[in-house]
Amino acid sequence: MTAFVDLYTEGDTFLHRMDPRVKILGVVFLTVLALIIGNLYYLLTLLAAIGILLALGRAKLSKTLYALKMVLRVMVLIVILWPFFNPTGTPVLFHYGIIKITQPGIIKGIAVAIRIACLASVWYILMFTTTQRDLVRALVKMGLRFDFGLALSIALRFLPTFGAMVESIRDAQRARGMEFDRGSVFKRSRKYVAVLVPTIVGALRTADTLSLALQSRAYGARKDRTYLRDFSMRTSDYAALALFGLALALPAFAKYALNVHI
Amino acid sequence: MIPRPIGRADKDFFIVARDIKYSYGDGIEALKGVSLRIGKGEFIAVVGGNGSGKTTLAKNMNGLLRPTSGSLDVAGRPSAEMTVAELAHHIGYAFQNPDHQLFSGTVEEEVRFGPKNLGMEEQEVEKQTEHAIAHMGLQEYRQVQPLTLTLGLRRKVSIASVIAMDPQVILLDEPTTGLDGREIADLMKCAVSLNEEGHTLILITHDMRLVAQYARRVLVMAGGRLILDSDPAGVFSDLEILASTKLEPPPVTVLAHSLGGFGIPKDIATPEQLVDAIMRARGGTQ
Amino acid sequence: MRPLELRDVTFTYAGEQRPALDGLTLEVEKGEFVTLLGENGSGKSTVCMLTNGLIPNALRGQLAGSAKVFGFEVREHSVAEFATRVGMVFQEPESQLFCMSVEEEVSFGPENLAVPREQLRERIEWALELVGLKGYNDCSPFSLSGGETERVAIAAALSMRPEMLVLDEPGYALDPVGRQDLYRVLRDLRDRQGMTILLAERDAEELSSFSDRMILMRSGRVVKSGTPKEVLKDAESLRSMGVLPPQLSEVSVLLNRRLGRSDLDFSTVAEAENAISGILSSKRRGGRA
Repeated sequence: MTAFVDLYTEGDTFLHRMDPRVKILGVVFLTVLALIIGNLYYLLTLLAAIGILLALGRAKLSKTLYALKMVLRVMVLIVILWPFFNPTGTPVLFHYGIIKITQPGIIKGIAVAIRIACLASVWYILMFTTTQRDLVRALVKMGLRFDFGLALSIALRFLPTFGAMVESIRDAQRARGMEFDRGSVFKRSRKYVAVLVPTIVGALRTADTLSLALQSRAYGARKDRTYLRDFSMRTSDYAALALFGLALALPAFAKYALNVHI
Repeated sequence: MIPRPIGRADKDFFIVARDIKYSYGDGIEALKGVSLRIGKGEFIAVVGGNGSGKTTLAKNMNGLLRPTSGSLDVAGRPSAEMTVAELAHHIGYAFQNPDHQLFSGTVEEEVRFGPKNLGMEEQEVEKQTEHAIAHMGLQEYRQVQPLTLTLGLRRKVSIASVIAMDPQVILLDEPTTGLDGREIADLMKCAVSLNEEGHTLILITHDMRLVAQYARRVLVMAGGRLILDSDPAGVFSDLEILASTKLEPPPVTVLAHSLGGFGIPKDIATPEQLVDAIMRARGGTQ
Repeated sequence: MRPLELRDVTFTYAGEQRPALDGLTLEVEKGEFVTLLGENGSGKSTVCMLTNGLIPNALRGQLAGSAKVFGFEVREHSVAEFATRVGMVFQEPESQLFCMSVEEEVSFGPENLAVPREQLRERIEWALELVGLKGYNDCSPFSLSGGETERVAIAAALSMRPEMLVLDEPGYALDPVGRQDLYRVLRDLRDRQGMTILLAERDAEELSSFSDRMILMRSGRVVKSGTPKEVLKDAESLRSMGVLPPQLSEVSVLLNRRLGRSDLDFSTVAEAENAISGILSSKRRGGRA
């Protein structure tokens, strides 16, 4: 069982080689951009641009769609439900009692869905071109305390292990007649105590041993620890950072300073 | 070799598996067609390396996994018709890591958990809990928090909680991991007494000394198949199987085999048995 | 300086009544392969935790007596200071490996010691080679077998270039063949690198041919110390102390008793076969045994 959070796919594209810090900042900028753009057609352009980036990173369509399964479902829901909850503007397409559907309402719904697609896919780009290790290292380099970075790495690494442990515990309790899929919601949640307690105990035991192991390997011995794999900014990284910055700055300037409606 | 009972109908057996296969979600075929019949009162060891399918087989028996093809009958009914909870009443599975099962405030509560889940009457629950606690020698620990006990005791609690459901078959998954010599002897004594009471014991283990000493029947798994179903002597004499599965008979048994020319029998499992046999072969009256 | 010298050490874990170590005295010499044998609760894990200062620095309690590791009193130094001398491997590999690749895991220790980048690479290769995992650099911990995981844990300790390696029940999750492979790796380390090895175990079956010396512990004290043959001779008392004696040792003890001898002593099947064949043939020939 591999980490379901580990979306990293091997590759040697410029996205894979880009400094992770630039990628993180770039993704943050594009997120803000997606949030400030309201117009459907501009959002579609942004999505297309992100799509190009995905292609340049050699993302496999099937894998991408699989990872973004949940997001796709949410998008469909929004497209369907949004018009019912936001019946503003003209022309009105349907009116029966309290149910009112307008064309701008439908368009807005689609725009919101596209915005979500932009957000999800831009973060996906980060995840599939950067290893967990590099991500954490980037955060530490950008100011996160090493201890926190280590805690984050450990948490990510143990997710599948604890996932498997929870499965095993559930099985063990099922083998004692515990039926988790029967009973009221209230009763069912009480049943999960039988899974929660062993899980927490197991996690604490592991944490105990792990902490001793870390200390035995001189964790915290010196402030100036070295790193096997490290990265530093190159010209191409600065250039990419500048481009990401502009991609956000120009539209933001247009919207807020020049009152252009985007 | 113990002669295999011929002519017994399937219905006389408690567990009947016919060509069961099991594939995990990602396409890996963990069981490639296993057929076997397990009767009441047997003492069986299941051996095999990692990936041999022994755990998968065990989980198919108690319903945690369902065969993807083939048929499996338990207590005369197809297992497919029974939920895991119903199967728990017939096959009690004690997991390798007791800490995956323990969560109650006292040993007594822990042991009661199983029978309560199965919907037994309060009187019956009481009786089974008493019986299980007595069987595993846990009387003095009734009111103790299970998680504060040593590993050997925690394992006993987990086994007690399984036998309290009064299953015919008791399946122990690597129960001696982490136990010292004394704890192992103690645990196996409990297992033997359960077997003498009529329960079927199935022991998944890689400790060949236990297999030699306690099992009357050995199922050797490799690559998802049951490659040998015989008594310990039969398994330990089959050099081909041993070589291909990298299983090693206990040193005493290897020694007994090499002394075969002197009339030492091959089914020696313990040092005492070997020394008795040597003294007999010597012909003295020591 | 001796790798380990414990004199009259008593240690009680915080919150416990009974001392885990009770006036314990033992030493380990440089380059020895020593096995600590004892039942659960005999104190062997506690001795392991002393070897690199985890007791009393990380595991609190009351420590009395003198506990010196390479000449340094454990209570006077931090765990990090011992990390370059003593490598520790704990019971379950899954609980001490936390990186996403073997390489990261093995480099963690030296990174903490600020070893320069070029040397990091060297150490990783050296450590992996020693445990027979050359080329496993990019492997994920999820793809490894039990034995391989154990060896990664050892490599992760070795990369700090310790002089003594301490392992607390490393055979816990391994099958007999896996255990033998492991012991072979450890013995190679001793033979090729002069590494001092201290191993804590409950089961003596496979260890007699690998250890130089065995120390039998019970209730926090040393009961016996000597060569494997010496310590494993009395199979009955081993059993009473909760340790599983090697089957062949038991055979020699029982045979000695039944034949009124005291010289029979075999540790391998071949030796046993020879000796016993001798006994049985001479009887057949009608001669006196």
